[in-house]
Amino acid sequence: MMNLAWKEIKKSKVRFLILGSIVFLVSLLTFIISGLANGLSQDNAALIKDLPNGQFYMDADADETYNLSRIDNSTMEKLLNNEKDATALSIQMGFLNDESDKQQSVAFVTSTDSKLFPHVKSGEVILDRSMEDKGIKVGDTLTNNQFSGEFIVKGFVDQTKFSHAPVAFINIKNYKEIYRVNEMQLVFLLGGDSSQEFAGLQSFSKQDFLNTIPSYSAEQMSLNMIVWFLVVISGLLFAIFFYMMNVQKIGLYGILKAIGLKTSRLFRIMWAQMIFITVPALALSIVLCQVFNRIAPEGMPFSLTMETTATLSLVFLIIGFIGATLSGIQIKKVEPLQAIQQGEM
Amino acid sequence: MMSIFTIDKVKKTFTNGEVKEEVLKGINLSLAEGEITALVGASGSGKSTLLTIAAGLQPASDGQVLFEGKNINAMNQEQIRQIRASEFGFVFQFAHLVPFLTVEEQLMLMLDVSDSTLKKTEQKREVNRVLQLVGMDHRKNAYPPSLSGGEKQRVAIARAIIHQPKVLFADEPTASLDSKRSKDVMALIRELTKTLNITTLIVTHDEEMLSYADHIIKMSDGLILQNENPELVGRA
Ligand SMILES: Nc1ncnc2c1ncn2[C@@H]1O[C@H](COP(=O)(O)OP(=O)(O)O)[C@@H](O)[C@H]1O
Ligand SMILES: [Mg+2]
Repeated sequence: MMNLAWKEIKKSKVRFLILGSIVFLVSLLTFIISGLANGLSQDNAALIKDLPNGQFYMDADADETYNLSRIDNSTMEKLLNNEKDATALSIQMGFLNDESDKQQSVAFVTSTDSKLFPHVKSGEVILDRSMEDKGIKVGDTLTNNQFSGEFIVKGFVDQTKFSHAPVAFINIKNYKEIYRVNEMQLVFLLGGDSSQEFAGLQSFSKQDFLNTIPSYSAEQMSLNMIVWFLVVISGLLFAIFFYMMNVQKIGLYGILKAIGLKTSRLFRIMWAQMIFITVPALALSIVLCQVFNRIAPEGMPFSLTMETTATLSLVFLIIGFIGATLSGIQIKKVEPLQAIQQGEM
Repeated sequence: MMSIFTIDKVKKTFTNGEVKEEVLKGINLSLAEGEITALVGASGSGKSTLLTIAAGLQPASDGQVLFEGKNINAMNQEQIRQIRASEFGFVFQFAHLVPFLTVEEQLMLMLDVSDSTLKKTEQKREVNRVLQLVGMDHRKNAYPPSLSGGEKQRVAIARAIIHQPKVLFADEPTASLDSKRSKDVMALIRELTKTLNITTLIVTHDEEMLSYADHIIKMSDGLILQNENPELVGRA
């Protein structure tokens, strides 16, 4: 069968190039914003996001705010004794003074013994690797204004951030001294799900818990909204562009129908053209995104997984398909006679 | 003998809101194989309406259009499409070529649409042969915008006959051409009708063109006035 779709593209390069570049630009923007959304969310909550699946618990009176949660010690003991995969943890924002007395903002994290978090002895600290860039080395001595002793840097862990600050893992005893608390904020139950309830505790899935972090949900919501707006806009662009093109081609469609082309073939031509345009445009913006990933400035959180890219590309194709098809409904309506009576195209 | 194409008591009424207009008021007509039948008459007398009904491009309100004994007025869209694609050819006032296909590709497309059983190389040979017939083989790689009006019309005629249709419909095929080109186009249609034994129905308002027809049907106000055989100047 003759490839009419491709022959038309070759003869109207400019027209299709314009649509292609619009799709390219919109998809590039979508990929980059999605990469930023994901990067920011990593930067904001990698500590939590990178945990395996499980369930979080906090004090039912804490108003869904981990900061306000104080789990009763007896409740916690009972839970930790009964569930061997449970870990209690606490998180608070704070500062460490480095050897040159510069304040470094960190998120202090402490936990009961668990394979999920590094084990830290009293007077020691394990830091997120981003602290290395600030000139801190293994063996350095750090201090905290609320802490009587000193922290010796024992090592670094990769990609462990909370609320955009590098995480500092410290021992429970030291944590309790700094924040003058006796209780832990959270219990994480590895592999747990919403079916497990404990008296006096409110349970959260990982995603639910992430959403209780105020900056996290605000950030993600606005970025995701932009991403979906862009996706919808690109769908509209497809629809409008193909609509305008189809309107100009009503006469041609009529003639093709008059000489006996099936309507389904006319639709296939349109779909083929949509794919001819979209696939190279998407490929180009994926490549450029990877380049952007490389050259993005150090401090810019950008993370675009292959999975996200593939999902978004698929969404683009589906949206393009729907847009083109909706605008193509007019093809179905074209009467061959109309075109003949319309005169020269 | 049964005629290949018979129009039987065909009526057509257009409804515009409350107003009903009967454009064809009962037409009976038989077309002869290998001959040109010309429809003439004043503008608005219903010639184009009759031709497009005969060609299956719009339905009649009443009556039968019998092609090889089958009433196409009672067929569904897909059946009519198949007949249009493989048994009918069309030429109109304007060539209506596909702007992004070369002359050769226009004809290849028609073979494709009519489900030609020929192999690709045979199709190309056939296209070449027909382009020679209409004198356009030297422009086979040209695109329509670079052709003159007469050249476009010759390509349109080639496209209308490449798939060896049994019936050729032409609605004022020379209206957009000058006198010299009009005669060339009519001579070509006549020659093809004879050599390929096509049944041809042609609408024209140009008296000069009537000399190329075997039968002339005069229409007036939705009815056939008279049925006559002209003096044939075109014949040697
Ligand atoms: N689709 C239509 N709707 C309403 N009226 C029509 C339509 N097509 C043709 N007519 C009317 O039918 C009459 C005959 O038209 P037509 O067959 O084109 O005449 P001719 O080809 O002889 O000039 C005209 O009065 C025209 O206005
Ligand atoms: Mg007319």
